[in-house]
Amino acid sequence: MSARKPDSFNLKMTYFIPLTAQFMGDLLCLRGNFGKLAVSLRKATKRQWVTAMESIIEVENLQKSYKNKQALKNVSFRVRRGEIFGFLGPSGSGKTTTVKILTSQLQHTSGRVSVFGADPLRNRRAGFLSRIGVLTDNSGMYDRLTVYDNLKLFCGLYGVPDKEIGPVLASVNMAADQSTPVQKLSKGMKQRITLARAILHRPEILFLDEPTSALDPVNMGQIHDTLRRLNREGTTIFLTTHNMQEAETLCDRVAFLNNGEISALDTPLELRLQHGDRTITVTTSRGKEIVSQDEAGARRISELMARGELLAIHSNEPTLGDIFVKITGRGLE
Amino acid sequence: MSLSLHRLLAIISKEWKDSIKNPQILLMAGIPILMAILGKGRAQTAEGAMDVFTMPLMVAIVTVGAFAQALMISEEKEKNTLRALMLSPASPMEVLLGKSVMTAAFTVIVIFICTQITGIPDLHFGFLILFVLMMLIISMAFGTVIGLISRTASETSIVGLPVLLIFIFGPMFGSGIDSAVVVKIVEMLPSYQFMLGLSDHVNGGGLEEVKGSLLNLVIWTAAAIVLTFIIYRSKSFDK
Repeated sequence: MSARKPDSFNLKMTYFIPLTAQFMGDLLCLRGNFGKLAVSLRKATKRQWVTAMESIIEVENLQKSYKNKQALKNVSFRVRRGEIFGFLGPSGSGKTTTVKILTSQLQHTSGRVSVFGADPLRNRRAGFLSRIGVLTDNSGMYDRLTVYDNLKLFCGLYGVPDKEIGPVLASVNMAADQSTPVQKLSKGMKQRITLARAILHRPEILFLDEPTSALDPVNMGQIHDTLRRLNREGTTIFLTTHNMQEAETLCDRVAFLNNGEISALDTPLELRLQHGDRTITVTTSRGKEIVSQDEAGARRISELMARGELLAIHSNEPTLGDIFVKITGRGLE
Repeated sequence: MSLSLHRLLAIISKEWKDSIKNPQILLMAGIPILMAILGKGRAQTAEGAMDVFTMPLMVAIVTVGAFAQALMISEEKEKNTLRALMLSPASPMEVLLGKSVMTAAFTVIVIFICTQITGIPDLHFGFLILFVLMMLIISMAFGTVIGLISRTASETSIVGLPVLLIFIFGPMFGSGIDSAVVVKIVEMLPSYQFMLGLSDHVNGGGLEEVKGSLLNLVIWTAAAIVLTFIIYRSKSFDK
């Protein structure tokens, strides 16, 4: 599939959601996951709000070549203010290169890159770096210094009062560890401190490059909670990951990056609906049965309900990982 | 290029807190102090007494001035903290300057302790400060180059060992080698001229007598600064 145009947002799903199989399944299933439903509705409402906002990142026909390799090939996308935008792709697909270009660490070969309406590299010394926060999976901390002293350095660099350290640490559940040397922290705790450092100056855009790789589910969940809260407070988040579940739970829209090209760009829900086989799995007292999402399927479900045989009903939507494999022919790992 | 005093102070404060907890830097600081303790009162001649004074000074300047600086720079790269600094409003020049101020302060403290142990011979204080200052700039410039070239803290030992050997052991053993070329090379070393100039001055030499050593140090200082600038540009500290 060719790269999509930057303005090809697909937002028509907002009012269609109540009619989707996902919605029906959640309502009818005896073990219905109401949390998932709530997330779907929250995102749908937020998407309407996001569309009203201006683009904070604009990338058009971006190309980046290294000596023997073309890392990015005509990549185009836009990120709206207040959005959580996911960049999904396997290792080596060009995610980190994109983040480096967007954060002024790397010069692109051709194309147009605009963050806050200007080229990041040209804007680097004009306050650009004070408006962004960056977190990568290998962001280093000063091991011998305490958590407080690590953050105090960056307070000095960003011109933030030291009194901000306490609330920021509290926001990542690390308030009790202020005087602990970083070398005594676990990997998950270090990552939360790194996140605290990245948000200390309240950036408008937070770039996260594989922020939860190698973290256990508990630490990952805590970081996700913090990111959701930041996003609710207005921070735009650009997230690269190869974790489909992470993208699915956090992102308003996702782009699939494969071999330096964007092969799909849409909301997770829309992608699932586009690439699903439009069937429903019905669990009855006699076992599982797959019915199609059409008139015949509806009749069959009514029949089972009338007979009191229906135990559960689930829509068969693919995961983002399944869709990625279907589109690109390769896995995300 | 704009320098922010606020950011510079933040970097210096961090470097100080980090350095006093860094066993490698503390060990480097300990070597000249140990030399001063071991050498105190052992000199049999006036020349020997001068060596007891100048040798810890020179070792302090080379080990702390060059190697602490190199270590601080390479460790930033090794532990990926440099990237975080470069993604903050701090400029590469502020980061390097902050480290240099810290290194200089640390070296001065070690020199002060050494001189308290060995005692200070009868010399003009201005001469001593001038010689120490130029030797310190040369060492810190080489330390910066070593730090920029090295990818890890342990690599600084490999890259910097030749500098250490030549600068410290050159004046100690070079003149005893039976080779006119080697002797000539040793005589051109700033560390040799540092010790020779101070010795000449203590023995009654004025500006006229020490101008050769001074000129040598001025040329080395200028060359070291130029070399550092060239390496700084080519190694792209912030990329």
